[in-house]
Amino acid sequence: MKNEKKNCSEEHLLFLKKRRRKLILIWSLRVGILALILGLWELSTSLGWADAFLVSSPSRIARTIGSLYTEGTLFYHIGTTLWETLVGFVIAVALGYGIALALWWSETVRKVLEPYIVVLNALPKIALGPLIIIWFGTGSPAILFMTVLVGLIVAIMHMLSAFIATDKNKLLLLKSMGAGKVQILTKLVIPSSLPSFISMLKVNVGMAWIGSIMGEYIVSRAGLGYLIVYGGQVFKLDLVMASTFLLCVLAAGMYFLVVLLEKVLVKNAES
Amino acid sequence: MKKEILRFSGVKYTYHTVRGETVAVEDLSFSVRESEFVAIIGPSGCGKTTLLSLAAGLLVPSEGEVTSRGSFGYMLQKDHLFPWRTIEKNIRLPLEVKRQNTPEHRERAVNLAKKYGLGEFLQSYPSQLSGGMRQRAALIRTLATDPDILLLDEPFSALDYQTRLNVTEDVSEIIRSEGKTVLLITHDISEAISLADRVLVLSGRPARIAYEHELDFEGVTNPLKRREMNNFSGWFEILWKELNA
Ligand SMILES: Nc1ncnc2c1ncn2[C@@H]1O[C@H](COP(=O)(O)OP(=O)(O)OP(=O)(O)O)[C@@H](O)[C@H]1O
Ligand SMILES: [Mg+2]
Repeated sequence: MKNEKKNCSEEHLLFLKKRRRKLILIWSLRVGILALILGLWELSTSLGWADAFLVSSPSRIARTIGSLYTEGTLFYHIGTTLWETLVGFVIAVALGYGIALALWWSETVRKVLEPYIVVLNALPKIALGPLIIIWFGTGSPAILFMTVLVGLIVAIMHMLSAFIATDKNKLLLLKSMGAGKVQILTKLVIPSSLPSFISMLKVNVGMAWIGSIMGEYIVSRAGLGYLIVYGGQVFKLDLVMASTFLLCVLAAGMYFLVVLLEKVLVKNAES
Repeated sequence: MKKEILRFSGVKYTYHTVRGETVAVEDLSFSVRESEFVAIIGPSGCGKTTLLSLAAGLLVPSEGEVTSRGSFGYMLQKDHLFPWRTIEKNIRLPLEVKRQNTPEHRERAVNLAKKYGLGEFLQSYPSQLSGGMRQRAALIRTLATDPDILLLDEPFSALDYQTRLNVTEDVSEIIRSEGKTVLLITHDISEAISLADRVLVLSGRPARIAYEHELDFEGVTNPLKRREMNNFSGWFEILWKELNA
């Protein structure tokens, strides 16, 4: 679609104008809702309708973050969690993609491993907490392992079903050209599964955060998940809320990066 | 008489699934000569697609033998252009697969596209083309490696009637002027009559050759002209009866 502003009809100009108005409306409502929530929250605690000790408040959250910053631990905690999440995410995605490719390649291996994957998928990974502590100790490796574990199976299943769903007739077409398995993979299976790859990334952003925070709940001595658990234990709800808020921002940022990646990758694959 | 380029002798093919076996093709014998345009019609599900897969060597006969001299180009009901590739890159696909992606071959393919009206669409994506244009691009893709034998599996049936007549016209012209041998499968009796030199009528499953006709249109190969000729409706009646026998 080309965006030719020059010689277009009145009607089209009107259409563009309406579209812009709608966009402005949507964004002002989005921001408005956030402001309303924050405003009511702040007001209700300062007027004493709600106990700020139990529900915290925007200003207290800001102050908590500020004091973490002046103590010099803010970026240490953020960095720890972010590192665990990102590295876990990358490993889970790459490994999951590779395993899915291998399973696509060999039907026998796929059939053999199917029940294992189904069971691993259904298993709540947190059940492995004690084992992980014993095997990996209580540091970052344990949390990384948890993060990878949570994302890996999802990545495998998501990609495998996309690989298998490759259009039968396009496969036939390539085979009729004499394509071997590697060519089928590189020319058809991988490019046609690109949209699924993107949606898998989006799902796995969520999975990675679940994994890393869950991991920190069980074992860690640093990171945002640790701050939340610690804050809960000593009844510092401001700390819990502040860490949760930071998590929201980071998760949104990571999701946004995936969306950016999508824009770059899918630019050409319009269909 | 031209030389034989493809021969089926006593071919049988059986599909095996858990629920049982299906004999799709049995005791099938026929041959195709160089530059001949052969149309195959038959009841639906009788084994026509199986026949083409056997011809292309994608399936190996359970009994009998398929022999051919020459390379194949396969074209399916839908264009199956890859939406993430431009038309030019789609047309180049068989060259890449066959490792013939040299400048000369690429140029040949691009020239074919230009010659047959796709020049201005080379950098477009398939979604930007009409159904007829896309099917034409699919034909150029099939021709890109300069195959000797074209195997066409109901290549027009996904198009609406108007487009279909036009594309049939184009395709016929392209194929005749490139001097290709064609094995065309179709449901459409009048399409078969308007295009082919010879028509094979298949029986119900398992498919065998039930009837065979050499069409004589006094050398006229243009589909629309053929449709206006006197013996067209005569052939239609004969084939209609045989197909529904
Ligand atoms: N992969 C397969 N496994 C099992 N049976 C199959 C397979 N492919 C085709 N068949 C069966 O073989 C028979 C012939 O199939 P084929 O696709 O060759 O028929 P066709 O004449 O091309 O059908 P249509 O008119 O629908 O295009 C059908 O009964 C079909 O169900
Ligand atoms: Mg068929």
